[in-house]
Amino acid sequence: MFRIDLIYSTVKTSLTLRRLSEVFVIMVENSPSPLPERAIYGFVLFLGSQFGFFLYCLWAYVPEEWLHSVGLTYWPQKYWALAMPIYLLVALMVSLVVLFGINMNNTAPLDSVDNITDVFAQGQRSDCYRKGGIPRLEDVSISEVNKMFYLSSET
Amino acid sequence: KQNHDVSSAMEDEALSNISGKAISLDCQTHSSFCREFTVSSPKMSIGKVMVYTCSVWLLAYGVFFFTENTTVLSSAILITLTGMMLHIHFVKVDHESLLVIGSLGIQLSSSYASGREVTTFIEMSRIKDIVINEAVYLNQIIYYLCVLLKEPSEPNVVSSVVPLFQSSKPRLNCLAKVYKSCQEILSKCQ
Repeated sequence: MFRIDLIYSTVKTSLTLRRLSEVFVIMVENSPSPLPERAIYGFVLFLGSQFGFFLYCLWAYVPEEWLHSVGLTYWPQKYWALAMPIYLLVALMVSLVVLFGINMNNTAPLDSVDNITDVFAQGQRSDCYRKGGIPRLEDVSISEVNKMFYLSSET
Repeated sequence: KQNHDVSSAMEDEALSNISGKAISLDCQTHSSFCREFTVSSPKMSIGKVMVYTCSVWLLAYGVFFFTENTTVLSSAILITLTGMMLHIHFVKVDHESLLVIGSLGIQLSSSYASGREVTTFIEMSRIKDIVINEAVYLNQIIYYLCVLLKEPSEPNVVSSVVPLFQSSKPRLNCLAKVYKSCQEILSKCQ
């Protein structure tokens, strides 16, 4: 029975080690460093976007009659060749302003309790620590902080 | 006996608000448990008033020049006058004061440029503490003095916050003086 226990614990340790090494390998592959595959993806995207732009210019400049004569009839109106880029640029500028606005709207005003404390700080328990040990990490109340900063600097 | 202390005259540092304009702090010790702090904002300068009025009237005259409509001129005059009256009555604060009476309460009052005074009294049983807090205000982080209120039934929980000196917004050196003075009274009477 003793030997079975030993074998079982050895097998379990080796399995754990293997799982750890697999996790470690996955963590190495998630780094943002340049890799050959990433270079290929980037170049493919670059070529694809240039070709897409060429097709867009082709559709915007070729007259409707030529497109109809080839057989391509169901394309959007040429009005959208100008309207879509303008819409995108205006949306970009408006979203920049709206982002600042949303940020400022979500900032707590000066008279809100969220600037002083929150649910987590109020709900923390203060259990007594062992004498001589490091006290537990916790939020200090603002009255204590103020006394430390402004009242004890008279030395 | 009263102890009067005007800090802008007696001390080296000049107090300013968060935009850099000079303000003045006046601490009066009425007795050992009663103190009053008054922060005065900078007054309206006559140059600024004249600049605003002249620009509005020039603009109205320019519009009249193109439209030949005399109502533009009279409405510009009316708008300037009513705007100035509303501004000095509702917006422009002359001085704000904080009166701390130990074991009774505190009184906050702001008086506007037209003479109107708005006063609030908070009794001592509702006051948890007066602290200096830092918070995000528009695009910067400012220090401001605030009163933490508590419900008498739950003395350990901050129920609401009342910021002080909101119109004058003094900087940290002025706030630290007021804080130290207030804590001397509050620590005795709580």
